[in-house]
Amino acid sequence: MNLPEAPDSLSRILDAWRVAPPRSPRFRAGVWARIETLRKAPAWSDYARAHAGLVATVLAVSVLAGALTGRERARARVTTEKARLADSYVEAMDARFMRMP
Amino acid sequence: MKNWLITLVVGLCTCVAAFCAFYAMNSEPALHRAALEKDAMAWLRAEFHLDEAQLVAIKKQHDSYGVVCGQHCVAIIAAKGRAAPAAEIAALEKTCVEAMTGHFRQVATLMPPGEGERYLATVLPRIKDHGHEGVPNLRATP
Repeated sequence: MNLPEAPDSLSRILDAWRVAPPRSPRFRAGVWARIETLRKAPAWSDYARAHAGLVATVLAVSVLAGALTGRERARARVTTEKARLADSYVEAMDARFMRMP
Repeated sequence: MKNWLITLVVGLCTCVAAFCAFYAMNSEPALHRAALEKDAMAWLRAEFHLDEAQLVAIKKQHDSYGVVCGQHCVAIIAAKGRAAPAAEIAALEKTCVEAMTGHFRQVATLMPPGEGERYLATVLPRIKDHGHEGVPNLRATP
């Protein structure tokens, strides 16, 4: 496949184009500073201290939700099992419920 | 963002820990064991705080009632088998209910003070709630 030949003027412009960014004496130091900043991201404990109200709220809600759910689940299980055992206890002594094998 | 996610995970862990702690605090291991083993006597012991002597006395009472219960059982089944009049079956069932109620009252006297009343409040409504037709089961002995 033959590519169309670039016009001479464009070739000349590209040929003459030079990028000359201004020298920054603090460029290297700036890069390292950014790396250090990222490396020293605040630990969660620092974050928690800085956002104590939010973290305390999350923890309080978690404890409350877990405690209420746990208590209700346990009580429901106890109630169900008590009722089942009491039923079977009474039925075991009730001649009206008995069948010959 | 990362710290916010850690906060959520910590919250979730706290929630699970609180659930487990409160579940354990409100559970009754003896009852769960009794339910698992379908052991009504173990339930009776745990529920009504019976000591060994009381449990033995109640077991003895149950055993002697078992004979009476068996006789009622045979009479009711025989009456139903020969399609006896409804009045006769009702009379036999009434006898059964009265005997059972008497037995439960006797058992209650063997329990610690206060527990007997609670026991009667638990078992007596269950006698009354039973229909006279009975429910099908395969139990042949009390």
